[in-house]
Amino acid sequence: MNVLEALEKDLIKVPLESSEKYAIIRELVEVAAQVKGYDGDALLDAILARERLGSTGIGNGIAIPHAKSDAVDKVTMVIGVSKIPVDFESIDNQKARIFFLVIAPSKEASAHVELLASIARSCSSGIFRRMLEQAKDADEVIQLFME
Amino acid sequence: MTALMYAIKLAKEHQAQATAVYVVNTKALSDLVKSGIFVAVERDEYQRDLYEDADRYLRHAQHLADEKGVEIDTVKLEGSVHVVVKELVKSLGADLLILGGVSDIRSRRDELASETDRMMRTAPCPVLVVREDDDIWDEFER
Repeated sequence: MNVLEALEKDLIKVPLESSEKYAIIRELVEVAAQVKGYDGDALLDAILARERLGSTGIGNGIAIPHAKSDAVDKVTMVIGVSKIPVDFESIDNQKARIFFLVIAPSKEASAHVELLASIARSCSSGIFRRMLEQAKDADEVIQLFME
Repeated sequence: MTALMYAIKLAKEHQAQATAVYVVNTKALSDLVKSGIFVAVERDEYQRDLYEDADRYLRHAQHLADEKGVEIDTVKLEGSVHVVVKELVKSLGADLLILGGVSDIRSRRDELASETDRMMRTAPCPVLVVREDDDIWDEFER
């Protein structure tokens, strides 16, 4: 599974309203819960449990909070872009503006790994990251991934 | 799964020996640790999950082949998918590599990163790409 296969317009929020790490996570989880009807509390617990192992702020202004949870029935990705750089306790101490929340059921380990790898590949380009940060709405985010 | 069904049908028609292979993509897992997305403990957990996926898939391949009376070997490998598949094809002296999991390429980035695409380009033998198609499922059931 790659980013384009997981991409859904309703699961993209630009701009995010929050300006603090855990508020951002909650905001992204809420999108998944509202759009897909998932149990938001269960998703949040799974994401926070993973975050306790170490921050998912991977540097270069990107954070990928992720977890396994059987509260979802398929691999689900929410993308959020913040206008304000947010301290996500990233490994390079840079603040983050681009967020990918990824949650997958335990039986879909392969698709989960592939999607995370695909996100990492997509965001390895500095130009791409800058363009993503400038995206004004969900359509622009989709367009960028489709180029 | 469609490619597996197609391969079993083809092997039956040609009385050929089939090999089903599942590659646990440990390269992707290592890349996720390097990029800071996975912590080590998480990589180990996902690796176990992927091995379980592999066992499930290969058991199913064996079951489908048995159903059609086709002799099949099952092989579980790990590493970078296109690299280990190429080595396996060489070592078996395979006549044909049958690939599935082909999705529509919707961006240039997809095309460059697709493992299926890399396997097609690097295989040392002819390659047959099987698209997801309900007709193949129907035909297999017959």
